[in-house]
Amino acid sequence: MFNSIRSHTPKPAGTNPFAVIAACWLMLAASLNAQEAARYRASPIGSKVTIEGTSTIHDWTMTGPNIAGFLEVPAGVVLDPAKEGLAGVTGNKLTARADVSIPVTSMQSGHEGMDAVMQDAMDAKTYPRIQYHLTEMVLKTPHAAGTPLEFDTKGDLVVAGVTNAISMPVRIEPGDKSKLKVIGSVPLKMTDFKIKPPVKLGVFRTADEIKIVFEWVISPPAPKQ
Amino acid sequence: MNENESELSRYNRRDFIRSTTTFGAMMALMGGVPLQAEDKPAADSGATNYSTVSAPVSCGVIGCGAWGREIIQTLGALPNAPVVAICDGYEPMLRRSKESAPNAETFTDYHKLLEKKEVEAVIVATPTHQHREIVEAALKAGKHVYCEAPLASTVEDARAIAKAAKAAIKSNFQSGLQLRSDPQKQFVLGFVRSGAIGKTVMARSQWHKKQSWRRPAASPEREQALNWRLRKETSTGLIGEIGIHQLDLMNWLVRERPSWAAGYGGILAYPDGRDVQDTIQSVVGYSGGVNFSYDCTLANSFDADYDIIYGTDAAVMFREDKAWLFKEVDAPLLGWEVYARKDMFYKETGITLVMNASKSVQKAASAEAAANLSSPLHYALVAFITNSGIVRSGVKDFIDSYGADAEGLAETLASLTKGRLHAAGYQEGFEATVSAILANEAVMKGQKIALEKESFEI
Repeated sequence: MFNSIRSHTPKPAGTNPFAVIAACWLMLAASLNAQEAARYRASPIGSKVTIEGTSTIHDWTMTGPNIAGFLEVPAGVVLDPAKEGLAGVTGNKLTARADVSIPVTSMQSGHEGMDAVMQDAMDAKTYPRIQYHLTEMVLKTPHAAGTPLEFDTKGDLVVAGVTNAISMPVRIEPGDKSKLKVIGSVPLKMTDFKIKPPVKLGVFRTADEIKIVFEWVISPPAPKQ
Repeated sequence: MNENESELSRYNRRDFIRSTTTFGAMMALMGGVPLQAEDKPAADSGATNYSTVSAPVSCGVIGCGAWGREIIQTLGALPNAPVVAICDGYEPMLRRSKESAPNAETFTDYHKLLEKKEVEAVIVATPTHQHREIVEAALKAGKHVYCEAPLASTVEDARAIAKAAKAAIKSNFQSGLQLRSDPQKQFVLGFVRSGAIGKTVMARSQWHKKQSWRRPAASPEREQALNWRLRKETSTGLIGEIGIHQLDLMNWLVRERPSWAAGYGGILAYPDGRDVQDTIQSVVGYSGGVNFSYDCTLANSFDADYDIIYGTDAAVMFREDKAWLFKEVDAPLLGWEVYARKDMFYKETGITLVMNASKSVQKAASAEAAANLSSPLHYALVAFITNSGIVRSGVKDFIDSYGADAEGLAETLASLTKGRLHAAGYQEGFEATVSAILANEAVMKGQKIALEKESFEI
C-alpha cells in the first residue's frame, strides 16, 4: 500500500510545472550521481506527537512518544538553523524524502477506555501505524542565521488505510546535542479518513475536527570517517 | 423522560464496573458495551459502537489455593484477561480451579508453565516464602508479573524480587497491594492530601476475626504445606500476612516510610503447636512524629476491621469499601459537606466520602452502591492487565520503530504514563514488605526495633 503512495506524483506548485519537474529530476539525478543522500534518522528519545480534539463534553488529547522514520536530503545539504540560508539548495525547493510513521497503540489519552476506542476507530489491528510520505518541501526564504528553518510541505498521510494529501508548514529547530526538532501541526477531519467520530447518543459526540501536533527529533547522519 | 435521561438511566452498575473512573465511564458509554442487551443503537441512530476493551493479555496463575482461586475467578470476569494456564503442586487444587478456568492448561511444575509462549503475564499466589524463585524465573522468562503481598518472607528475598523487577524493564511488575488500585481509596487519598483533615496526628487500624488460621489437611505432608502461616520460618505473622495492606494504606496516606516498630503478641486462643501469635498489638512510628497503632486477633471478631487516620480538623474512617469523615466542631467549613450524605456511628455523624457521589452518571444509584462497586482485587487486576498491555505495546512499538538495540526504551516506557492505571509497583511492594517483616520481628521479640533507611534500599 505504501509503495503505491510513493509512486504517486505530486502536483507541482510553480507556474511552470514542466520546468519545476525537470529541475527536480535534474537535482535528484545530480545528487544521486554525486553521492548518497544524507539521511536524518528518527531519534528514539524526545519526540512527541499529540492529537487534539473536542467533544460535546470537553476537550481531549492523545499523546505518544514514538515517531519513526527518516528525512533524507541530498548530500551536501546540511540542515543547520544556525547558518544563514540553506547550503546546497538552489532555489527554494529541497529534493527531500521522508517516510514517517506513528504506532497507533503508542497514543494515550489518559481516559480509561478511550485508547481502546480510538484504536478500534482507527482499525489498529489492520493498520497499526499512521504513515506519512513527504512529496514536496519548499524553503521559506530568506532564512536568517539562528532562526528556525521554515518550510512549506506537501505529503500523503495514511490513517486507517485511507490516504489523503496534506499540506503543512514545518520548522526545523536545533534540539539536544546535534539533533534537530522538526515541528509542525495540521488540522484534519476524522471523516476524511473514513473514521466515524465516536458518538454516544445523549451522552456525548466527539467533533470531527482534530489537530495533529508533533515535535519529531531526528539525528543527523554520522560524520564521514 | 427525555433522551438524555433515558440514556443515563441505562447506565448501570455493570457499566461502571467495566470502567473505573468517571471519564472511563463516559468512554464506556462512547463505545458499545456488549454486555448491555438494550445498548445497540448502532447504524440507525448515528451512535458509534467502538470497543472500550483494550487488547487481551493471556494470564497464568501460579498457586491455586483459596486466594489463587479468587484471583482466577476475578480474572475470569474481565473481558481481556484469559486464564490460559494454572499451576499448583497439589492436583486437587488444579481440579477445583478448572471450574473457573475450564480452558486453562494445568501444570504441577511452574517452570513448565513459564515455558509457554502464550502465557504473557503470571500472577504468583503461592505461599509467601515461595515467591522469590518463581518471580525471578518468571521475569527471566519475560513475563509480566503480579506478585501477591507480602513480596517475600525475608527482607533479603523481597530485595531480590524488587531488584529483578527493576531490572526487567520489558516486564510490568505489580505487587499485590491491591488497595493502591482501588479508586475509592485513591479518592479519599486525594482528599486527605488536600489538607481536609488538618495536620495528621495519628493512625489506627484493626483486623478482628474468629478463625484459627489452621487449615485441615488429608495428610501430615499436606498439613505442613497448607499451614505455612503458622510457622515462623515461613510466615510473616498477622501483621505481615494480613496487616501489610493496612500498614501500606497508612504508609501511603502519611506519605512516609516507618522509622521504627514495636509490638507484642501471644498464642492465646490456639495453643495447637503453632509458633506464630494469634493476637498482636503493634505500634509503627513515622519520622514526622505520627504513630500508627495496629491490633489484630484471630480470637475475637468484635468490630471486625477498619482503618482511621486522625487529623487536627477531622478523622477519616475506612470501613469495608467505604469511608467517612468525622469533623471537629472548630474545623473550617469545606462547603460541600452540607449537601453530603451522612451516617451515624454511635454518637458521631460521619460524612460519607464516596467517589463520584455528585456526578450525574451516578444519580440513579445510592451513595452506598456507588462506593461498593467491586473488590479491590478486581481493580488491582484491571490495573495489572491494562498496564501489562501498555508495556507490551510500548516495547513492540519501540522496537518496530527504532530497532531492538536502540537506546531509550526505558525512558520511552517511563513516559507512557497517561494510560496507566494506578498500582503498587516493586518499590511500594518492597517498602511495605520490609515494613511488615520488621514490624513482625518486633512483635515476635516483644520489643522496639529501628527501621533503618538502608533497609528500604533496593
